[in-house]
Amino acid sequence: MLLSIENLQVYYGAIHALQGIHFSVEKGEIVALIGANGAGKSTTLNTISGILRPREGKISFDGQEIQQTPPQDIVRKGIIQVPEGRKIFGRMAVWENLEMGAYTQKDRAVIKRDVESVFDRFPRLRERRNQLSGTLSGGEQQMLAIARGLMAHPTLLLLDEPSMGLSPLLVEQIFDIIQDINEQGTSILLVEQNAQMALAIADRAYVLETGKIVMQGTGDDLLEDKSVIEAYLGGH
Amino acid sequence: MRTSPVRNGIQTGTIFGIIMVMMFLIGFTVIGAELIGKILGNPSISGMPDLIYFVIFMILVGVWCGVSAAKRPLYGPDSVKDAVLAGLSAGAICGLCAAVTGFIFGSVAANHIDVRAYLVSVSPESISMFTFNQNPTLGALALFGVMTLSSFLSALVAVEVRTSQKIRTMIENTSGSISETVHSQRISDLLNNKYARYGFYLIVAIALIILPRTWGGYWNYVFGTVGIYIILGLGLNIITGWAGQLVIGYVAFFAIGAYTFALLTAPVPHNLLWNFWIALALGIVVAGISGLLIGLPILNLRGDYLAIVTLGFSEIIRILLKSDLLTTFTGGPRGVHDVGGPTLFGSSFNTDVDFMYIIIIAVLVVSFLAYRLQNSHTGKAWVAINLDETVARATGINAFVSKLLALALSAAIAGLAGALFASRNQFTGPDDHQLMVAINVICLVIVGGIGNIPGIFLGAFALKGLPEILREIENYRMLVFGILLIVMMRLRPEGFLPAKRPVLEKFTADQRSSTDPASHPGNLETNTPPGKGK
Repeated sequence: MLLSIENLQVYYGAIHALQGIHFSVEKGEIVALIGANGAGKSTTLNTISGILRPREGKISFDGQEIQQTPPQDIVRKGIIQVPEGRKIFGRMAVWENLEMGAYTQKDRAVIKRDVESVFDRFPRLRERRNQLSGTLSGGEQQMLAIARGLMAHPTLLLLDEPSMGLSPLLVEQIFDIIQDINEQGTSILLVEQNAQMALAIADRAYVLETGKIVMQGTGDDLLEDKSVIEAYLGGH
Repeated sequence: MRTSPVRNGIQTGTIFGIIMVMMFLIGFTVIGAELIGKILGNPSISGMPDLIYFVIFMILVGVWCGVSAAKRPLYGPDSVKDAVLAGLSAGAICGLCAAVTGFIFGSVAANHIDVRAYLVSVSPESISMFTFNQNPTLGALALFGVMTLSSFLSALVAVEVRTSQKIRTMIENTSGSISETVHSQRISDLLNNKYARYGFYLIVAIALIILPRTWGGYWNYVFGTVGIYIILGLGLNIITGWAGQLVIGYVAFFAIGAYTFALLTAPVPHNLLWNFWIALALGIVVAGISGLLIGLPILNLRGDYLAIVTLGFSEIIRILLKSDLLTTFTGGPRGVHDVGGPTLFGSSFNTDVDFMYIIIIAVLVVSFLAYRLQNSHTGKAWVAINLDETVARATGINAFVSKLLALALSAAIAGLAGALFASRNQFTGPDDHQLMVAINVICLVIVGGIGNIPGIFLGAFALKGLPEILREIENYRMLVFGILLIVMMRLRPEGFLPAKRPVLEKFTADQRSSTDPASHPGNLETNTPPGKGK
């Protein structure tokens, strides 16, 4: 088991944001975490990457407990978060963003090689490598955010709403890229509101509701589940 | 819908009229006349400047008013008429404001009432100058006439200049040829040429060696102050410009550096008389450590806590230094006298020229350090934290340690500046460490161009050098700072010399060689500004 979460409890002051959730990600899997606004999806990711501290519970990655590890060390262990809302460094050039993604890597030659291979995956970014990233289009920014995540050679990539605010065509492109990344060996934990797309590519999925996991199963199972359809897929 | 030109003019005129009246009430009209006199080579030795300079000043205000009123409606067949009409009405309104003010104060002065009890700056002399040394009625009429006429004529000229094809092509040609020269291949080759650059450095170096010897004590004093403020600006820029953490009480670290140095080298109160260089190093270290200690409890918080805490800290330091309680230890309100000067190989190295050299070297060292930091791994991390702390942490940056390092470095550099300052003045006291020092430094960093090293040089010259040269406006420093900051925020929000992200170099060179050039047109695109890429 690559990542396992046990009884995770997170508070924002008095607000009980995560009320003891359990889930796991196996090596090579795409696991989706779906749910409405405020269900605790981003909180979960932020807790895994160490930006938030859980009050209780256990997070183990590769057999080590990491719930007390600071974020910069978690990055070094191979868990990389691509934050919500295309949070790139808008006033840096595209290549500088990528360089920041490789912050833990000190060897300039390796960074250069990695930047090239990321550009091979995202040719669009190569064209725009000297542009200020704040001037990229929404889809390009999301690609850059993912590309920056890849620069650190993640074992587990945490994607926070990669489809947010993108046109359907771009969403499909992004999800193709996600699948592609997964096929090359990176495990993925995907947080999404776009349940349809997320469930379609996920091996397994969990449904989060007000801080609790209320349902789990394979992606296909949940796609057909009545209550999921009603709650998240707009069916009647 | 367009607003009518008269209404436009009245708006502009009202604004200028109010500014005019305010300037008069704070006595700035006299200062303005004095400045013009000085610029025209006829400084008033004592008392009031000549009336003619005041007239010029008023005409200049009128011209400005007219030009800004004539700016807006510039299309349609009536645009010339409109613009002139706007200029005329603006001048009339502005003149009316001035005239009414002049009449009121002129009458008051004619009745021998001294308004200085209420308005400190409005002396009878300045009133009489405001009304052109005439009686109130005539003066008011003259004011009205001068303002209206100058505004009207300037609007006319402005429109003429703008609409006349001949003048326009002339301007375009000149600016075109200038920018062509600047951007031409030859110049850029020259700039990139290694020898040319070394030659430039050599000239600067020679100038820096020769100038302090030739230009005399006064200029050494002025530029020494500028140098110290450059050091302060470069230091503050690390934590505020790059790491994005506002530090308001930066003067605290300046004070710590100054006092550490002063107490170690002065005969009173401790009679330690340490060597200059050791005391200097210790001043830097102690200031750096104090920055570290201040940062430890607050830098893992986000928001403006650092600004508030350092603000409080600087006031605490100043009040402590001033208190009678610590007089035996810090010299109290009277400060520390006979602070030691530099020595070199045992002999004194303490003339104003020598000290200028030390400041120049310190500025060079700090600039070099700042330059290296800017392009370093750590420097990148600071910028990333500034842009988005959460993402920066998610990419593996230890935000707390990075910020702490930035603050400690900033503080240490302020300590260096403080020690140099105390040593140069051979004195330091609580009043050297007012909050105003820190505000000056923040201003110069912002005005020059936050995050940009050459910008800080420019800012220091503009804010510390110019006031020394233009001593008249010293009393209006706060006013000028305020205006300057507002104007900067409106016109150049990133400062005179905004920081350039080092965008266009890194990957172009090896791109050409490493991959097939046909596969990506990016090489051509590199010089296209953002937004035109598509």
